[in-house]
Amino acid sequence: MKCLGGFLLLAALAGAGFVYSGWYDISATDQHLAPTYRLLDYAMRRSVSFRARDIEAPDLKDERRIQTGAFLYRQHCLHCHGAPGVPPAPFALGMTPVPVPLVHTARAWSPAEMFWVIKEGIKMTGMPAWKYRMSDAQIWSVVAFLPAMARLTPAQYADLRIMPLEPAQDVLEDKPSAKRGEQAINQYACVTCHEIPGIVGANAPVGPPLKGVASRVMLGGVLPNSPENMVRWLRFPRQIAPLTAMPDLGVTEQDARDIAAYLATLR
Amino acid sequence: MRLAAFAFVSMISGCGNPGQPALGGDPESGRLLLRQFACGSCHSIPGVANASGKLGPPLEGIAKRVYLGGVLPNTPENMASFIRAPHKADPRTAMPDMGVTQAHARDMVAYLYTLK
Repeated sequence: MKCLGGFLLLAALAGAGFVYSGWYDISATDQHLAPTYRLLDYAMRRSVSFRARDIEAPDLKDERRIQTGAFLYRQHCLHCHGAPGVPPAPFALGMTPVPVPLVHTARAWSPAEMFWVIKEGIKMTGMPAWKYRMSDAQIWSVVAFLPAMARLTPAQYADLRIMPLEPAQDVLEDKPSAKRGEQAINQYACVTCHEIPGIVGANAPVGPPLKGVASRVMLGGVLPNSPENMVRWLRFPRQIAPLTAMPDLGVTEQDARDIAAYLATLR
Repeated sequence: MRLAAFAFVSMISGCGNPGQPALGGDPESGRLLLRQFACGSCHSIPGVANASGKLGPPLEGIAKRVYLGGVLPNTPENMASFIRAPHKADPRTAMPDMGVTQAHARDMVAYLYTLK
């Protein structure tokens, strides 16, 4: 027993020493060891298949849906994943892992799994969550487009007539929820510039810390703090304070209300 | 074991080395001046008596903050100018012009730059 304890302690020390020394090569040009890659890939597949287990796909053969998906694909996915005969953009080629061609994904993954991955994203891979940028219906249309794209020749993809979409309406679905706000705070990158109690992230002190923001009197130094003003400030800071470094992040009304509900808990 | 603990602590805290006071001001005088100019009625300021105001942002860690008043890149010079004439940087700011002299501002900046 004592021997095992000693061994574990030694292993922990060796691990800490490895981390502290900076020996681990964090660069994107250093490929994973094959077992590391396989383990990460397997863990990702297991997690996706487990989490997508209860998702039911709508009718994906619908022509309008596929057309909408073609537009959204070109808008949001093409730069990283390419298309038949179209390479990913240069920045995407420098990513590790390199984004995969979705013509293969469309054959290998179920629609529910693809929907889940697009919606929720995958940590530490560069795959973003689209939940806050696309509606469920829009995500399904991308899922519908993927197998259709996989059946196109490069010439057919190049000839595809892609119609622009009507801009989505900003709909209020629900009462403000601090729980949803907690997730939205990460999804709008608030935590990269502010220290926010309860949110794990970069916390760079670009703007003021938000601890106690609920009892702060002014927002951005210019706007009296009230629930309504907080929502306005979150959505359009540069309309309220044209000189502020805080950017308009395209926060929807619903998401702003949810974020405000979370911030209201920080007394 | 102690070494590992040290390694861990320095990893999460970073190692700072205190240099010259910012703008050559006197930090101790600055600390008293921050009180004299009632900065603490709007800001919480570590080390300044009764400075627990909630009108503006807390000044804990202000030395490392990237922007002042959300508008001005944080340098000692810009901080002195923001303290002296906040409306010059942002006409809409709620922070009032308190009539701080350049010499006083320099001392205040020297103290505020110790708040890392």
